[in-house]
Amino acid sequence: MNKKTIKFFDKIQNIDRRYIYIVVALAIIFPLLIPFNSPTYVTKPTEDIYKKIDSFSGDKSKAVLLSFTHDASTMPELFPMEVSVLRHCFERDIKVFTICWIPAAAPLVDYAINTAKEDFDVQSGIDYCNFGYKPYALRLPIMLGMGDDIAKAVETDSQGRKIENLEIMQDIKNYDDMNLVVDFAASGSAIQWITYARAKFGANIAAGVTAVMVADNYPYLQTGQLMGMFRGLKGAAEYEKLVDVFASYKSEDHPHGRPFSKEIIDQTRVAITGDAVPYKYKKARIGMNAQSVAHIMMIFFILIGNIGYFITRKKVGGKHV
Amino acid sequence: MKRQIPLIIIMTLGFMFVAHSFIPHKISADFFDWFQDWVKAISPFAVSLGVISLFMVNGTKISRKVPNWQYSVITLAGLVFTALAGFIWGTQSGTPYMWLFENVQMPMSATMFALLAFYIASAAYKAFRARSAQATVLLLAAIIVMLGQVPLGAMISKWIPETSKWILNVPNLAAKRAIMIGVGLGMTATSLKILLGIERTYLGGGD
Repeated sequence: MNKKTIKFFDKIQNIDRRYIYIVVALAIIFPLLIPFNSPTYVTKPTEDIYKKIDSFSGDKSKAVLLSFTHDASTMPELFPMEVSVLRHCFERDIKVFTICWIPAAAPLVDYAINTAKEDFDVQSGIDYCNFGYKPYALRLPIMLGMGDDIAKAVETDSQGRKIENLEIMQDIKNYDDMNLVVDFAASGSAIQWITYARAKFGANIAAGVTAVMVADNYPYLQTGQLMGMFRGLKGAAEYEKLVDVFASYKSEDHPHGRPFSKEIIDQTRVAITGDAVPYKYKKARIGMNAQSVAHIMMIFFILIGNIGYFITRKKVGGKHV
Repeated sequence: MKRQIPLIIIMTLGFMFVAHSFIPHKISADFFDWFQDWVKAISPFAVSLGVISLFMVNGTKISRKVPNWQYSVITLAGLVFTALAGFIWGTQSGTPYMWLFENVQMPMSATMFALLAFYIASAAYKAFRARSAQATVLLLAAIIVMLGQVPLGAMISKWIPETSKWILNVPNLAAKRAIMIGVGLGMTATSLKILLGIERTYLGGGD
């Protein structure tokens, strides 16, 4: 190997980290500014959540609870999941409840509901209900209490109305009716739902977590204690596609969306470059473009770093440097 | 007495909760309802305590003009302004409180979290080296999982997402489960030590 090559690798081994930062920034900013179409492959953990929620379509005796246990810092990954699930529920006339456990999540719940409900004729207290912020200290009593009587455990919604008087509560008493809890968190908070709501009352639990928390939740997914999981931004992108392809699909044969089909989802490509899909419903897929480029770039960095490492090591006689 | 009374409270309530979890009796259920009311009453005091503590800590910093005391002014101003915005105009869409959330808190929090990407990229470049067999396995696993996470992985080969899934479902799962079992046993042992009064460090002091 000539001196020039060795010198080059020597140099890039000690490259100033600020250059790396610039490359990372560009790799993320450009795909966000200039979206392009890339395939979204739907995986089973996301598909299972979709199918479960979809099975409640039009059934007034079933409901979904969305639990928010995160703040604005993890919104880029979790918010598109929340909006997609709410959109799915509103599209398919499914009762949906929301609750949050940290004060910083309260405006986030409002923001998610307001973002999703703009396109639907839905009303608070009838089609959806925000239980609002409940202190974390009450998490356990409320989780357990909802197994007997939701109205008694939660008492009031975010607007101070008595839960038991709301129209949405007709035919909804406990986890037998509010049969799916989706916990959105940047931590392992779904475990509490599994321990109390699932183990004691048999509620179905799903989790929406940031990518770094995915590995932690895998044991529960494998045992079936989590019936599904949104795995970071990828999970959100997958759900966006599922809602686009099925729940939001409109035709003469299917005026209120069409049923799930593995064949259709595998074959369908949804374009995100035009105006066909509103920006708020394709945020995760645009984000996945940025993530794809960033991952490729990081792999490239790792490979270059290792090539440089081996060349430099060879130079110093095979010793570790 | 300063130590004995808290110990008695902890042991009594602790064992009552253990009993509640295993005995589905009316007395047990009534005890739980009674406890729920107490928790609801105590929680607001915890919030007040937090706010008072924040004012005291930052107030002291401002009055003593300690280095970077200006940040304390911003902290307190942020707390007061956001709370007032919520109390006066409410927290619904279109109010100053929501404006603050959407235009200040949301972008600032997301920015802080996004910085992680830069640190990870830099660390991956500088430190992720195949120095040994174990490090090489880690490196390969990381590359496969990273590729499996994005559409490009499946476009290169259908085996990449499949292998990524296998890595997460088998070696990752085995390690996670072992850690969880260890943590679970440790928690049970510590809880028992606290309930039986063997572990007392939480009371302050060393015995």
